[in-house]
Amino acid sequence: MEFEEIYKTYWDRIFRLCMGFVNDYDAAQDLAQETFIIVWQKLETFRNESSIGTWIFRIASNNCLRQIEKQKRFPKSELPIHLSEEKQTSLEPQIQFLYKCIAELPETERIIISLELEDVRQAEIAKIIGLSEANVRVKIHRIKEKLTQKFKENGQR
Amino acid sequence: MDNDNNIDFKDLWKKQSVSQPDMQDLLARVNKFKRAGLRSLWITNMLLFATTAFIVFVWIYYQPQFISTKIGIIVTILAMMIYLFVYNKLLSTYKSIETTQTNQEYLQNLILIKKKQQFLQTTMMRFYFATLTFGICLYMYEYASRMTFLGASLAYGLTLLWMAVNWFFILPKQIKKQQFKINSLIEKFEEINKQLL
Repeated sequence: MEFEEIYKTYWDRIFRLCMGFVNDYDAAQDLAQETFIIVWQKLETFRNESSIGTWIFRIASNNCLRQIEKQKRFPKSELPIHLSEEKQTSLEPQIQFLYKCIAELPETERIIISLELEDVRQAEIAKIIGLSEANVRVKIHRIKEKLTQKFKENGQR
Repeated sequence: MDNDNNIDFKDLWKKQSVSQPDMQDLLARVNKFKRAGLRSLWITNMLLFATTAFIVFVWIYYQPQFISTKIGIIVTILAMMIYLFVYNKLLSTYKSIETTQTNQEYLQNLILIKKKQQFLQTTMMRFYFATLTFGICLYMYEYASRMTFLGASLAYGLTLLWMAVNWFFILPKQIKKQQFKINSLIEKFEEINKQLL
């Protein structure tokens, strides 16, 4: 698969995963870019042992975990990049609320639910996180319950 | 969305607005990163090279007579080289953590590397300073032996005082600060790792 094709196919999905993790548009943009830089550098070493999706999501989620450290070391966005589009934020409060709720979950749950919402199969999620499929299923169920609860409490239906 | 128990999270999730930056911008950033990496490597090595060259110049130009001076020079250079070597090595293992493994494996690796870093920052820093002090004291001996007693005491006294200030005040403070940062990171990563158990 060509990089350009991967970039076009996966950008939105990776961005949303990062957005679910940090709930900050600029930070998510940075994280997504870093992910694709790693993908670009490592693409040669990709050997179809796993699907390309699993491979990319692993890089993205590991990068999200790692930014916890960078958060403490560097100011945000060391290298500003010119976006071709204007910065957009979602106007719908429900969408914002969902991302806010997800970003408040424990780190691994953020990744799990983001992948689930991206329609990644549970077997694949298990391979990305490093858990058993059964475990993933239970976790997804619990996270969804938590989210539903939060939406109810907030009156966001 | 009307059903209480059935909020369509997937639908909401995918409605998040996304702007895909131009791929050329991204690739430009890759090159920038590469250049920055090379530059820091170059600077580190130039510094090392310049210091070594200076010391070698002193050796040749002043022709030290005592063996202690020569040993002092070698010890000082070695201290710097070992420190830089270890530091660079740590940096490179850190940069090359396999990013394509599972989150669980990745977290464990992060914790491991942070622990290594923790050890190196304390032990290596102390080793570096002890060796440096020892080397400088040896190096000074030849010149001090030609001074008056007062001059020699003053030269050694000031040098040792400076080293003591480093050893007892600056170094512990620096180590404490770094340890605090690393420890809180290790704690955080371990906490995340526990979420997977």
